[in-house]
Amino acid sequence: MDKKISVKVCLGTTCFVMGSANLQELIDTVPAKYGDKVEVSGVPCLGLCSIDWEFSKAPYVKVDDEVIKEATVEKVLKAIDERLK
Amino acid sequence: MFIDIDCSQMKKYNQNAYGDYFVSKRYPDEARLVAVLSDGLGSGIKANILSCMTATMLLQFISNDQIPIRQAAEIVMNSLPVCKVRHISYSTFSAIDCDDDGNAKIVEEGNPEFVWLRDGEVLEPSYETIQSKTFKNRKMKVYKIKLRLGDRLIFCSDGVTQAGLGGGRLKLGLRRDGLIVLLKDKISENPEISSSELANYIVNQVRNIETDRRPKDDISACVLYFRKPREALIFTGPPYHQEKDKEYAQMFKNFEGKKAICGGTTANLISRELNVPIRMDTTISVGKLPAISYMDGVDLVTEGILTLTKTLEYLENGTLDIDNAAGKLVKFLLDSDCIQFMVGAKLNQAHYDPALPIEIEIRKNIIKKMAGILQDKYFKKVNVQYM
Repeated sequence: MDKKISVKVCLGTTCFVMGSANLQELIDTVPAKYGDKVEVSGVPCLGLCSIDWEFSKAPYVKVDDEVIKEATVEKVLKAIDERLK
Repeated sequence: MFIDIDCSQMKKYNQNAYGDYFVSKRYPDEARLVAVLSDGLGSGIKANILSCMTATMLLQFISNDQIPIRQAAEIVMNSLPVCKVRHISYSTFSAIDCDDDGNAKIVEEGNPEFVWLRDGEVLEPSYETIQSKTFKNRKMKVYKIKLRLGDRLIFCSDGVTQAGLGGGRLKLGLRRDGLIVLLKDKISENPEISSSELANYIVNQVRNIETDRRPKDDISACVLYFRKPREALIFTGPPYHQEKDKEYAQMFKNFEGKKAICGGTTANLISRELNVPIRMDTTISVGKLPAISYMDGVDLVTEGILTLTKTLEYLENGTLDIDNAAGKLVKFLLDSDCIQFMVGAKLNQAHYDPALPIEIEIRKNIIKKMAGILQDKYFKKVNVQYM
């Protein structure tokens, strides 16, 4: 696989209070598990909470183009695994 | 010119209240500043009440613009009672009324003479003496001076000039000459030193002179520094009308001075309109706040409401040295003199979802409170623009 998988954790206000603060461990666990195949970073805001149809499903994480609602470390790792299959 | 003003104080040893009182008020519309330092007779609560009354009344008189500083001071001088036990007046004071062009009127009654420093030299301005009509031994000095860029004025209570009195090294105390030596040394070492640093330095040095570092009197040092203003702009929240994003982003870009963005959506907006990428740290949170990010040409990029709420809390409590996004914003604000807020009025509905575990404040309210505290407690010039 050439292209890195990108994981973007939303650090906007809504996501942060809804739990993206707890995703800090991804920063350490992901490189440990997948090496340099996956890149994790925070982003100022994915702009998803303000869209009505996704209302109150924060925190959001984007794994490449896939949006993960109510993200947890497990959900994010699962999404990465699926992509690496 | 910007007038950087601050006062540092220390209580007399073993007292639980300050016997000196300092008040100041800025009038942004008139580019004017009024400040009063008063020293109450004795120490502790009694002195605190006396000095507080003198200082606040004098400030009220002057600032209402009803009475010029000279007459106001004269009224106070003539009416201050005399202590029955010690036969001296209940309090002494220094007051200054100055503007951004450097015009200053100063009155002193009983306090040590102020020090006027220009290019490392002390200037000795002429003054007029006004004798009290009611008390023989009471008189005040009235100065009218013109200040230049880089000038400093230092006011202090007699706790400074009489520090170390009767002790080993300085039999007559520090005196005004000793204070001038301290000031000149410090300023030559750090010519750009801020008023708050210089005031703190004076107070700490004076404390060191006192036997066992126990002040025998209340110590106050007030510094005014006339310098070029340090401008700062904070852009927070998206504009109410989206079609104006570009216009406001351009204003942000064209601003000369330090710049900060508070808000994830806001950062994306500026990044999009100005075509500047955002870079993130490899951390997600620091001290319960989202980590900061980076943009070329912007000095600080943080999350919005949570960081602003925390910043307001730090400013209110005087916690100024915290290593998180809010701590950085506090430093950003306090290192500036003129602070402009561009506040977007657009609300994010998601912030008011009752499912959120904490209550999220309304941006406008936080900024309003922050502007007030920056003005009143930290003596900044603040301008808020809603968009």
